Amino acid sequence: MTVEGPLLQAEATPWDRCVGALQAELAEQEFNTWIRPLQAVENGRVLRLLAPNLFVVKWVQRHYLEKISELLKGRLDPVLEVGSRQTGAVDGTGATRQLRPARVEPIASRLNPTFTFATFVEGKSNQLARAAACQVAENPGTSYNPLFIYGGVGLGKTHLMQAVGNALLANNPSARVSYLHSERFVGDMVRGLQHNTISEFKRFYRSLDALLIDDIQFFAGKERSQEEFFHTFNALLEGHRQIILTCDRYPKEVTGLEERLKSRFGWGLTVSIEPPELETSVAILMSKAAIEGLELPEEVAFFIAKRIRSNVRELEGALRRVMATSLFTGQAIDLAFAKTALKDLLAVQDRLVSIENIQKTVAEYFKIRLADLLSKTRSRSIARPRQIAMSLAKELTNHSLPEIGAAFGGRDHTTVLHGCRRITMLRNTEKRIDDDYRNLLRTLTG
Amino acid sequence: MSQLALPLQLQDHAVFESFWPAGNDALVAYLIELSDTGNGPGCWIWGAPATGKTHLLQAVCDRTGDRSAYLPLGRFVEAGPEVLDGLETRQFICLDDIDTIAGEPEWERSLFELCNQVLDSGGVLIISASASPRESGFGLKDLESRFTRLPPFHVQPLADSDRVRALQLRASMRGLDLPVETANYLLTRRKRDMASLYALLDRLDLESLKAQRRLTIPFVKTVLVLRQGDIDGFSES
Repeated sequence: MTVEGPLLQAEATPWDRCVGALQAELAEQEFNTWIRPLQAVENGRVLRLLAPNLFVVKWVQRHYLEKISELLKGRLDPVLEVGSRQTGAVDGTGATRQLRPARVEPIASRLNPTFTFATFVEGKSNQLARAAACQVAENPGTSYNPLFIYGGVGLGKTHLMQAVGNALLANNPSARVSYLHSERFVGDMVRGLQHNTISEFKRFYRSLDALLIDDIQFFAGKERSQEEFFHTFNALLEGHRQIILTCDRYPKEVTGLEERLKSRFGWGLTVSIEPPELETSVAILMSKAAIEGLELPEEVAFFIAKRIRSNVRELEGALRRVMATSLFTGQAIDLAFAKTALKDLLAVQDRLVSIENIQKTVAEYFKIRLADLLSKTRSRSIARPRQIAMSLAKELTNHSLPEIGAAFGGRDHTTVLHGCRRITMLRNTEKRIDDDYRNLLRTLTG
Repeated sequence: MSQLALPLQLQDHAVFESFWPAGNDALVAYLIELSDTGNGPGCWIWGAPATGKTHLLQAVCDRTGDRSAYLPLGRFVEAGPEVLDGLETRQFICLDDIDTIAGEPEWERSLFELCNQVLDSGGVLIISASASPRESGFGLKDLESRFTRLPPFHVQPLADSDRVRALQLRASMRGLDLPVETANYLLTRRKRDMASLYALLDRLDLESLKAQRRLTIPFVKTVLVLRQGDIDGFSES
């Protein structure tokens, strides 16, 4: 290591030397926060230093610019700006100035190319949504418009929506398809208003062949954005252009959303995605592993799917963790290996899903007192939630039936067994009980 | 007051080479691979204080240069979430102590927007926290769910024998020879968390340079007696 740090090299530029000197002088945290992210672009005598945002620009100007000038020894004049080498520099008005000519592209779709129908694993929980999405991909603008996909976090709504977008582009590479998150739509609109470019904003969104907006629940309470989206929506629909929206709940249940929007969202087809059942989770894991070139043993996939029940994203995180450990230790992935690699993550699950936590969650859900849940009361309004809680404890924890019985006011293990069987039967015959059980399962597992 | 003739004391650079990986080998190897390839959504690193999380995030920055941005969020709570603006223009986003802003709606909304932009554009999020995503207290479930996509790594604290080796490694990177007996002496008489031990090494480095002495136990004893109280939180046991 040298006094000026690792950046000092024979062919170092004046900026490299300046960075090296600052690295040696400043505390590591300070250096990494303020100096490291500056991207230098030389332009004659001017050294343009591009910072991620105005906050960094101001801080560097105030604290380091003098020192930087001094280190550059007058050979270059440093100028701080917001921007990056990829996106260009952004001036004070927020308008982007390209540092290099941008590649000529009809439109940046922002689609993830890996989100296709081929990589989407179908199961009972998403069958209908997938079928509807395929239909839309084949007949955009005519079959179901808008297509409204709703469901909990991390269940594949974005994947399905983007699969339609990718299919549309595959069929017609010049199609104007745009995927964006609702907050980006809001951000673009606000910038349009601030910089007097709202007509360009309108023209852009109303000229699309397909508009895909994710998580529209974040429109809630943003009246001006809803107003603009309403007009965009109408313009696209009138022109038979496809709209696909996702949301974390049924449109009518989104509070803070205008009634006229809610009603329009129902004009096409509204489909839900449910949490994947065990077999689908296993298939998802095997598919994701195969994409990464790994043949995941089925028993390992079953183990992960059984223990990580919250959503597909967490399954992916767990799988990546196992794969990373295997890659760097050189060990093959088997059940014992997966258990060790996921030890800490599974400990978290166990902490979160304790019998006490299940009892508390069930009592809150049914609005009954915890003491009643544990009491001898046998009235149905108490006994049914108690049986559901016992069933959940059996499914989500590793406690034995006698232990579960003991935790529920000292009951016998046969009472627990009876309760679990009763709930299994009722879930098949009474939709409401099945819905309650699923809701609780989702709450408890993430 | 004695003074050094030349400002020769070196700063430790937080690089992978100066991190003693015992028990965390897979994490270190994964981070190196991630830094070199940018292949993957990132990772979530959690663990107790002073286990090296910050060091690892900064090592990623060192390896990825100006394609990275590093933000110790604990220091920016007051500044507000606008410090996150534009970070998506960098490929590697390292957010330290993220749980310090968990539960703050404004921060969470901005983080959510940043996560979507980074992950949608193939960027890499490397995050440190004191707990796993689901135990960090986020109010916005959409945000928590995105974090669970990052492979989670729990940083394992070092055993005492590894603390000695970690201290020796850090010393050797400064050109200092720290005999194992001296390192053991420090461990048995001072606070044993790595942050405190490294701070102590800083002090010993300076004193040995001034006195032109090696890091023997008698010399270290002299420094500890002379400098008692100089180092925050230290007391002779």
